[in-house]
Amino acid sequence: MQAGLWGHCLRALEEELPEQQFNTWVRPLQAVEGGGALRLLAPNRFVVDWVNGHLLDRIGELLRRDIDGVEPPIITVEVGSRQPAAAGAGSPPAATGRPRRAEGLVVGARLNPDFTFDTFVEGKSNQLAKAAALQVGENPGRAYNPLFIYGGVGLGKTHLMHAIGHMIQARNPDARIAYVHSERFVSDMVKALQHNTMNEFKTAYRSLDALLIDDIQFFARKDRSQEEFFHTFNALLEGQQQVILTCDRYPKEVGGLEERLTSRFGWGLTVAIEPPELETCVAILMSKAQATGVEFPEEVAFFVARRIRSNVRELEGALRRIIANARFTGRAISVEFAKEALKDLLSLQAKLVTVENIQKTVADYYKVRMADLLSKRRSRSIARPRQVAMALAKELTSHSLPEIGDAFGGRDHTTVLHACKRIKDLRDTEQRMQEDYSNLLRTLTG
Amino acid sequence: MQQLPLGVRLRDRALFASYFPGPNSEALAHLEAVAGGTRAGTTWLCGAAGTGKTHLLQAACARAGESAHAGYFPLGDNVRLGVAALEGWERLDCVCLDDLDAIVGRQDWELQVFALYREAEERGARLVVAATAPPALLEWSVRDLGSRFAAGTILQLCELGEAGQEEALRWRARARGLELPHETVRYLQRRFPRDMHTLYRLLDTLDDAALAAQRRLTVPFIRSVLADWR
Repeated sequence: MQAGLWGHCLRALEEELPEQQFNTWVRPLQAVEGGGALRLLAPNRFVVDWVNGHLLDRIGELLRRDIDGVEPPIITVEVGSRQPAAAGAGSPPAATGRPRRAEGLVVGARLNPDFTFDTFVEGKSNQLAKAAALQVGENPGRAYNPLFIYGGVGLGKTHLMHAIGHMIQARNPDARIAYVHSERFVSDMVKALQHNTMNEFKTAYRSLDALLIDDIQFFARKDRSQEEFFHTFNALLEGQQQVILTCDRYPKEVGGLEERLTSRFGWGLTVAIEPPELETCVAILMSKAQATGVEFPEEVAFFVARRIRSNVRELEGALRRIIANARFTGRAISVEFAKEALKDLLSLQAKLVTVENIQKTVADYYKVRMADLLSKRRSRSIARPRQVAMALAKELTSHSLPEIGDAFGGRDHTTVLHACKRIKDLRDTEQRMQEDYSNLLRTLTG
Repeated sequence: MQQLPLGVRLRDRALFASYFPGPNSEALAHLEAVAGGTRAGTTWLCGAAGTGKTHLLQAACARAGESAHAGYFPLGDNVRLGVAALEGWERLDCVCLDDLDAIVGRQDWELQVFALYREAEERGARLVVAATAPPALLEWSVRDLGSRFAAGTILQLCELGEAGQEEALRWRARARGLELPHETVRYLQRRFPRDMHTLYRLLDTLDDAALAAQRRLTVPFIRSVLADWR
């Protein structure tokens, strides 16, 4: 990659240095040659210090050797890069979801082209959130403002947020939309403070038509950022510009966020995304497999979905593993093949979720004692958590019904079967039970 | 008079060509594709010590460095420097992070890696990381980061059995022009820790000694050479 004088020098250093040192401190350097100077650009000051302290003399020697008699270039090592920073300078506003430039500052990252409503697989766990997102996409700034989407990691919050962005952009190609991770908001603000460009920062954010801000839990305990975000948020809302927020939990449950912020987050609509149920997991797998053009039998999707229930990202990882293995070996994908390809992953899942772990988690959740859960007591306050724990053990482990019965103080397998049926019925009819079950599922598999 | 080896032994550079694939040929092929730029995204390598994670990361870094801006960062050795040591690495096209276990559970470091991950994703850069366990099994402080890694390609490197170790040792020895008899390997496996780090270090010692003494690697010879080895 590196040509010229530095290229020669690099090859010599590669031979001389232990490769770990070379790969860590030398390979990340970029060279700018010309005008009697060699500027070495390093990712950060640690690399600059290391090169200055260990290598500068040697580089000088190597250069003198290469140019033999001619005046050697002046070598400097500094922090920098030949490439533009990721979301920094460069791209002007474009028609489709590019970072937006306002008053010289680019805000946010590009919208992910894969995250559209078309590719979002709907199920019971996310249909309300999707419906709300569609409404916002159709009537930005008017339907629900802000739209607050919360739920565990890897359940599709970011996907929905991007999908709204795409829809707004498609309906109004001139709309200024920015997708910003909240941690990026913080670091942009810190940079603006350092460089005394807060006015540009404020103008850039406040002139957007839609601000999509992801993972606002990262604002916790960052008071200055919260303050600035509060004002940005107010300015956008007053101007009927759309704000969409995501968080890994309900806003009031995020510790370290100011009350005035959390209360404003609730002004529009707050919707939850729950972990997907089995059928949705299967649909997600089938949809993602189809997108890669791979023949993926439904029975394999059921097999994977039954075993990996924690979140969509892990499903995606499992699918990726199976497809990669199939491509490498040239074998067709079957349940047996998937078992083999995922054997490490599945054995780890089995290790993670044990009956004992489930019992302990359920006991903590319902604030009952483990001993009571395993006892013969039949009072409702004990029996119901016990039934929940049995249903979870059936769903999350590969233990047989008699084994689960044994683990609950030597109960019969028909008792376990009854518990599973009872909890399924209650989840269908009682919102509270559905919430409890989802929370426990998330805790155990998240 | 003893002949001194004078450092003429060829260095075992951590390249794809010097990695004994054995049961890990799929991981090798995947990383070659990633380093060559024909496959993108995040790759998570995991496996016990001695399975060759560091070797593969360095090989990927070297290959990617031929055509792109690449770097290798061993977190275990550099945690003491603080998170600023990773600043600017998001501008690289291919970042190889070793010993991720060293920072899992440390929120400041996880946030730094998270920022690197997001930048890499946005720019379409390649990220290859290594740890002893898959992401789902680690105790993340920033769970979102763990789950994002879980969505990438996870490759578990398998340890070599006795026969595989013998094959790997003889393969490396042959690359140096050494013949390593079966009984010599068996001797090493019975008397020394049976991990590949140790076995390769023993091979280095034997290589130097054989060159100095101009002897073949017979059991009596290696017994005398390794009498005080530690």
